[in-house]
Amino acid sequence: MASKEFNPFEMAQAQFDKVAEILNLEEATRHLLRNPLREYHFSIPVKMDDGTTKVFRGFRVQHNDSRGPCKGGIRFHPQETVDTVRALAMWMTWKCAVVNIPLGGGKGGVICDPHHLSMQEQEHICRGFVRQLAKNVGPLNDVPAPDVMTNAQHMLWMLDEFEAISGAKYPGFITGKPVGMGGSLGRTEATGYGVIFTVREALKELGIRPEDTTAAIQGFGNVAQYAIELYVKLGGKVICVSSWDQGDQCSYTFRRKTGIDLHELLKITDKFGGIDKVKAKELGYEVLDGEAWIEQDVDILLPCALENQVRGDNVNKISKRVKIIAEGANGPTTPEADKVIHERGIFVIPDFLANAGGVTCSYFEQVQCNMNYYWERDEVLSKLDVKMTSAYLAVSELARKRNLYMRDAAYVISVSRVAQACKDRGWV
Amino acid sequence: MTREQKPIDNLVLELQERAKELNCLYTIEDSLNRSDISLRQAFHTVINAIPQAWQFPNVCKAKLIYGDIFYQTSDFEETKWQITSDIVVQEQKVGSISVFYLEDMPQAHIGPFLKEEKKLLDTIAERLGHFILHQKLKTVFNEFKVARESVQGKSKGEWRIVLDMIRKTDPNLFISLMRKMLHLLCWKGVEEAEMLMKHTSIARRAGEEDSTEDENKPLKVKKIVNYDQYVETIQRLADENLPDDVILSRIQKWIQEDKSSSLIKVVESQDTSLTEIADAIRKYYHMAPEKFELPPSTIKGLRVSLLRRFFTEQLEYISIAKEYVKLTDFYKLIDKMIFPPGSHGKLGGKSAGIFLAYHILQKESEQIELLRDIKTPKTWFITSDGVLYFMQYNNLEEVFEQKYKEVDEIRIEYPHIVQLFKNSEFPPDILKGLSVALDDLGENPLVVRSSSLLEDQMGAAFSGKYKSLFLANQGTKPQRLSALMDAIAEVYASTFSPDPIEYRAERGLLDFHEEMGVMIQEVVGEKVGDYFLPAFAGVAFSNNEFRWSPRIKREDGLVRIVAGLGTRAVDRLSDDYPVLVSPGQPKLKINISPDELIRYSPKKIDVINLKTNEFESIPISKLIKECGNKYPAFENVFSVMQGNMIRQPLKYEIEDSNTEYIVTFDGLINKTDFLKKVDAILKILQSKMKTPIDIEFVSNGVDFYLLQCRPQSFHGETTADNIPRDLPSERVLFTANRHISNGKVPEITHVVYVDPQKYTELSDRNKMLAVGRAVGKLNKLLPKRKFILMGPGRWGSRGDIKLGVSVTYSDINNTAMLIEVARKKGNYVPDLSFGTHFFQDLVEANIRYLPLYPDDNGVLFNDTFLSKSNNIYPQLVPEYDYLDDTVMVIDVSEMTGGNILKVAVNAEIDEAIGFFTQPSSDVQSEREVKGIVEHQTSDHWRWRMKMAEKIASELDGDKFGVKGIYVFGSTKNAVSGPGSDIDLIVHIEKNKCNIDLLKSWFDGWSLCLSEMNYLRTGYKSEGLLDIHLVTDEDIKNRNSYASKIGAVTDAARPLRLKGKTD
Repeated sequence: MASKEFNPFEMAQAQFDKVAEILNLEEATRHLLRNPLREYHFSIPVKMDDGTTKVFRGFRVQHNDSRGPCKGGIRFHPQETVDTVRALAMWMTWKCAVVNIPLGGGKGGVICDPHHLSMQEQEHICRGFVRQLAKNVGPLNDVPAPDVMTNAQHMLWMLDEFEAISGAKYPGFITGKPVGMGGSLGRTEATGYGVIFTVREALKELGIRPEDTTAAIQGFGNVAQYAIELYVKLGGKVICVSSWDQGDQCSYTFRRKTGIDLHELLKITDKFGGIDKVKAKELGYEVLDGEAWIEQDVDILLPCALENQVRGDNVNKISKRVKIIAEGANGPTTPEADKVIHERGIFVIPDFLANAGGVTCSYFEQVQCNMNYYWERDEVLSKLDVKMTSAYLAVSELARKRNLYMRDAAYVISVSRVAQACKDRGWV
Repeated sequence: MTREQKPIDNLVLELQERAKELNCLYTIEDSLNRSDISLRQAFHTVINAIPQAWQFPNVCKAKLIYGDIFYQTSDFEETKWQITSDIVVQEQKVGSISVFYLEDMPQAHIGPFLKEEKKLLDTIAERLGHFILHQKLKTVFNEFKVARESVQGKSKGEWRIVLDMIRKTDPNLFISLMRKMLHLLCWKGVEEAEMLMKHTSIARRAGEEDSTEDENKPLKVKKIVNYDQYVETIQRLADENLPDDVILSRIQKWIQEDKSSSLIKVVESQDTSLTEIADAIRKYYHMAPEKFELPPSTIKGLRVSLLRRFFTEQLEYISIAKEYVKLTDFYKLIDKMIFPPGSHGKLGGKSAGIFLAYHILQKESEQIELLRDIKTPKTWFITSDGVLYFMQYNNLEEVFEQKYKEVDEIRIEYPHIVQLFKNSEFPPDILKGLSVALDDLGENPLVVRSSSLLEDQMGAAFSGKYKSLFLANQGTKPQRLSALMDAIAEVYASTFSPDPIEYRAERGLLDFHEEMGVMIQEVVGEKVGDYFLPAFAGVAFSNNEFRWSPRIKREDGLVRIVAGLGTRAVDRLSDDYPVLVSPGQPKLKINISPDELIRYSPKKIDVINLKTNEFESIPISKLIKECGNKYPAFENVFSVMQGNMIRQPLKYEIEDSNTEYIVTFDGLINKTDFLKKVDAILKILQSKMKTPIDIEFVSNGVDFYLLQCRPQSFHGETTADNIPRDLPSERVLFTANRHISNGKVPEITHVVYVDPQKYTELSDRNKMLAVGRAVGKLNKLLPKRKFILMGPGRWGSRGDIKLGVSVTYSDINNTAMLIEVARKKGNYVPDLSFGTHFFQDLVEANIRYLPLYPDDNGVLFNDTFLSKSNNIYPQLVPEYDYLDDTVMVIDVSEMTGGNILKVAVNAEIDEAIGFFTQPSSDVQSEREVKGIVEHQTSDHWRWRMKMAEKIASELDGDKFGVKGIYVFGSTKNAVSGPGSDIDLIVHIEKNKCNIDLLKSWFDGWSLCLSEMNYLRTGYKSEGLLDIHLVTDEDIKNRNSYASKIGAVTDAARPLRLKGKTD
C-alpha cells in the first residue's frame, strides 16, 4: 500500500533515469547519481518556553558535491520527510549545474511547525541544527540557505552558532542574509532580470529584434516586475499583466494594447503585486478575466506566477503568433500542455534555466562573503548577465545540435556536467 | 431674544448671558469662600455683583433682607418689575433677595426677566443660605470651645454641651436624638425610661414653644406635658445609666445617620427626578465627606438605589456593582450628566459597563500594580429621556409613529427625518449642559456614541445598529457647539433608521419605548500632521474562540489590535486585518514568515482629519510618508522591513529605498507590559463579573484607556451550544473532544469529504493538485455557508501537498466550516494546521475551524455514512471525475430523508458533535443564528423568486431567441440575504439570439430591481441580476453554469416564459 503513495524522491529518480537513458550513462554513474552521497539524520532537543523539553527531528542531505560545495535550503515543515528532502537536494544539483556554477546540491529540513513555536524556540532549533552538523557543513563543504518557512533571521542565528563553534568569521557559511550582514545587492532583481537575459538571447537566435516584439505576462510579483523593467529597457512592449486580487479572491488581466507602464502600475500596486482595478481602469487599462493573458496576440508569454498555469484545458488558447515561452515561475506548465507546446514548435526556455538568476545570485553572495569584499549592484547584475547568457547558449546550442527539446536539453546538459565531474575525480 | 432669529445668533446671545451669569457666580463664590468675611460684608458683595449678570445692568438694582436688616444697591428704588428668592436656613425662611428693574423693559419669561435669571437668583439665595448656616455654626463652635475650656478637668457632661449646641442649631435633629436616646435606655432595661416611653409620644414636629399649651392638663395624659422636663429626664437617665464616652459616641453615630437620611429618602422614592437626586447627592457630599462612616448596610442600600436610578434594573449588574462603586463616584458622575428637568432617564448599557469595570479595576489596583493608571476618557452623558425631551420641545412626537410604517416607507423618509432632527433646536437646559460640557472637554476631538437601553436587553446584535459619530471639534466655540448638536441630533435620528426598526420588528420589540442615552467622549490620541489619532486601539476577549495553535488555550484570551482609531478592530474587516495576539501566549504568533507578516499586517488606519473635520480611513503607508516617526509610540507599533528581515526600528533609523514600515506591534508586545496589563484586566474583570468579558481599549502611546466592557456572551456568537446526548450512532457524523472553540455554525446541507487514506494513495502530484482545484469548483457550486469541508491534515498546504489539499483561501471561502481530519498513521497522529495558512481570512469571514481526531478513544467518526452515501461529486465536477474515489460530496437531505447536518460546539466542556436532525423549526432561534452569521430574513428569497418569475413571464422567448430561463443559487435555495443577487441562467439559441438586445433588456430589469431592493433593505448594488447565457452546446458539454440545468444536486429551477403554458 505504501508503495502506491506519491513519493517525490521516486519521481525525481524517474526523471533522472530518463535523462540517464538519453545520455547512456554507465551503471555505476547512474547508481551514484540516483542517490544522495551523504545523509545526516539527527535529533535536536529544545528547551521550550514553558520549561518542557521537546525533541525535533532534523535532516541534511548532500546529494552531490563533485562540482563544488553543496548548496541548498533548510526547510521548517511539520511533516517533512526525508524523501522530499532527497528529491529537492537532487534538484539542486541539476539547477547549479545548468547555470554552470561550481556548486553541488543539498537540502535540509526540520520537522516542526513554526506557527506553533515562539521566536525563541525557533532560535533554539536553528542553533541546535548547526551544533549537530557543524563538522559536516561550512563554506567549503555545504552552504545552507533559506527555504520554506525559514528566512534571513534564521540564517543569521545559524551563522552565529556556526561562527561561535568555529571560532572565526565565516559569512560564506550561509546565504540569504540581509544586505549589510553579508547579503548581496541585486538579489531582488536577479530572477526577473535572469529571465529576460535568456529571452534576449533567444530572440537574437531567432533573429527577432526586441523592439519588434510584444509580451503578455502572468503575475505581477517580484519576478514579473523586474522582468518587465528589463524587457522594456530592451525595447519590447508588454501589453498585459495578470495579478491576484486579494479582495475578490481571483485574478484579473490588465491590458493596454499601446503598452503598459510599469511605474504607473507600481503606484497602484500593493506589496504582493495586487493591482487596484478601479484605478487601473481610470488609467486606461482594460480589466479582463484572469486567464486572458494566455490568449493574447503577442510574441512572448512569460508565466511568472504559480505552478500549473498552462494546462491541457487552456494551452490551445495560445495565439499562433507566440514564439517564445519563458518560464519565470516554477513548473508553470503541466506535462500535458508541454506536449502540445512542443508539437506546435513554440520555443520554451524551461523554468530551471529561465529562473536560475536566483541561485546564481546566491552563489555570488557566497563568493563575495568568502573574499569579504562586496560588489556594487551593477557589478552583480553584469556578472549575472554573463553567467545566464553563457548558460543559455550552452543549452540552446545543445538543443539545436542534437535536435532536443529545450527542456530535455537543459536536463541533459546539467546531468552530463555532473556525471563528467564524478568521472574526472575518478569516482566512477 | 426672539424665536425668529437664527439659531446660531440665538446661541451666541445665550452664551453671552451664560458668561455673565458665570462671572456673577464666581464673584459671589469667591467672596463667600473667604474665611474672614463677615455677614455684612458678604451681603454687600452679593447685591453689588448681581446687576452685572442681568440682561439690562444699567437699570437693575438689588435688595437683600436678612432678619430685619436691609441691604441694597445705591440709588435703589422699589418698582413693580421685580423677582424675589427666599433665603432658607434649615427649612426656615430667614430672609430674601430681590432684583428690580427701574424702567419697563421688553417682555421675557417672567415679566421682563428671563427664566434663567430667576434660576440664577435662586442659586444665589441657596448659596447664601449655606453661607449663613456656616457662619452660625462657626459661632456655635466658638461657644463650644469656650464652654469646653470652662469644664476642663471635669470632662463629665461634655456631651451635654454638644446636645445643647444641637438644640440651638437644629431642633429637628435634637428631637430625633432624644428619641433615639430614649430607645437606647429602654433596651438597656432602664425602667423609668420605659415609663417615659409609654406615657409620651411627642409629635415629630414639636417645637419648644408648644410645650406651654397643655400646662393645665393632668399628668396622666399620654402626651408630653413639658418638653423641657421630658428632655431633662432623658438626659438625666442617660447620665445615670450610661458612661460618658458611650453617650458621646452614640450621639456622633446618630448625627451621621441623620445626615444621610435625606439622601436615602430622595433616592429610595420612585418619584424623585434626577435633578432632585443630583441635589441630594451634592448636599450630602458637601455635608458629609468621606470621613463620616455610615453603617455598611445603609451605604449598600444607597448604592443599590443609585445604581438602579442611574444605570439599570438588572440584578446581576447591581449585585456586582454595589461592591465596587462608592457614593462619591456618583457625585463625580452627576457633574457630567446632562438631563431634562424632572428627568427619570438612565445612562444606558454602554455607560453602565464602563462605569462598573473602571471602578472594579480601581479597587483592585490597590493590590495589583499592573492595574494602576488605567484611565477612562473624559465623558459627558445625556440621559436616555433626552431624546424624548428634544422631540417634545420641537413637536416631533409624530415621528414616534414612524416605526409602525412599512420598511420601504421608513427608508425613503429616513433622510428627511435626519434633516428634520438636525434642523431642530435643543431645549435650553440641554443646550446649556452641552455648552458646559464643551468647555470641560476642550478642543479635543470627540466621539458621540449611543448608549441605548435596548442594548441591555438585546446584546451586541443591537449595539451596532445605532450611530457613533466622530467630531474633530475644531474652530470657535459656537462652531463646535453647533457641530456637537448636529451630531447628537443625528444619533437621535438613528433611533428611527430603518435597520434597527426592522430588527426590532422581527423580534417583537417595536412597542418598547426606545430611549437612547448619549455619551460625549473625548477621543484619546495625538495630533500627527493634519490628523488626530491614538497610537493604537483594539478589543480584547477573555475567551479565545479563534486559536491558531494547539498550544493556545481558550483562557489565554485574544486581542484584536489596530493602529489608529479602534473602529477597525471592533468590526470584522473585509479588506484588511487587525493584528491578533493571545495575551496568555504572547510568543506564539500567527504570522511567522515575512511574507505572512506583510500580507496580514493592517494596511489602513482610521483617523480624524483635523483639516476637513472628518473621520477617514487612510493607507498607513501614506501616513508614514507624511509623518514618519512622529507617530505616537512609533517603535512600539511599527517594525522595519529591510530586505527580508523584520526588526524593531532604531532610534535613528538609517533609511534607504528598501526600508518599509509595517504594523506588527512587536515593540508593544515584547518591550512593554501592555499584554500583561490586558491579561490582568481580563482576568480580574472576568472573576469579578463572574463571566467571560470583552473590553475595548485605546492608547495615546503613553496611557492605557478603557473604553468599554461587557460580558462576552453578549455577542451570542460565542455562547456554547448544547451537546445532545444518547443519539443513535447512525445519526452522528462525528464527535470531537480536543481544541474546541465556540461559534455558531449554520445548518449544513452538503458535506464535502476528501478521504485521507485515498488522498495519500494518489500516485501523482498532479492528481493531488487536481483535488485542490476540484474543491475550488465545489466551493463555487455549493450553496454558500451551507456546506462543510472535511479533509486530511492541513488544508492549504503549499510545499508538500501530501500533507493536505493544496487550496488557497479563494477555494474555500464559501464553506461554513473547515475541518481537518488527523488519522493515525502507524504510530503517530499527524499535526494539524489549525488553519494557519489563511487563519486571519477565516477569522474575518467567521468561517469556523474544527480539528478531528477520529482514532482517539471515545470519539465517533461515521466512516460508513461517508463511504456508503451516494457521491454526487462526479456530476458536479465532471472535468475531474476521476477523483471520485477521493472526493465525496454528500447531499445530507437526500441521504437522511430531509434532515440537515447540525454542528454543535461547546468549548466549556471541550466537545463538539456533528449530527443529523430536522431543519430548525424554531423560527426565533433560527433567526438569532442567522442574524449573527448573516443578517437575513426569509422574505429576501421569496421576493427574489417572485421577481424572477415575473421577469420570465415578461420575456418574449421567440423575439429574443431564448429557449428557457432558470433560477439558481441563493434565490432558489431560499437563503438569499438582503444583498444577494438573483442568479439566472438563460438558455439561448446561438443563431437567433440578439445578445446585445437581450442584455440591455435584462440590464433594465436589473437596475429597477436593485433600486427596489435598496428601498426594501438599504443594500445598494449596481444591479441585482446575475445573468449567465448558455447555449445548446454548453448544455451538451455541461460547461460551468450549464451544468446546473438538470443537475443532480442544487439544480437550477426552470421558470415559465411569456406565452408558454409549460
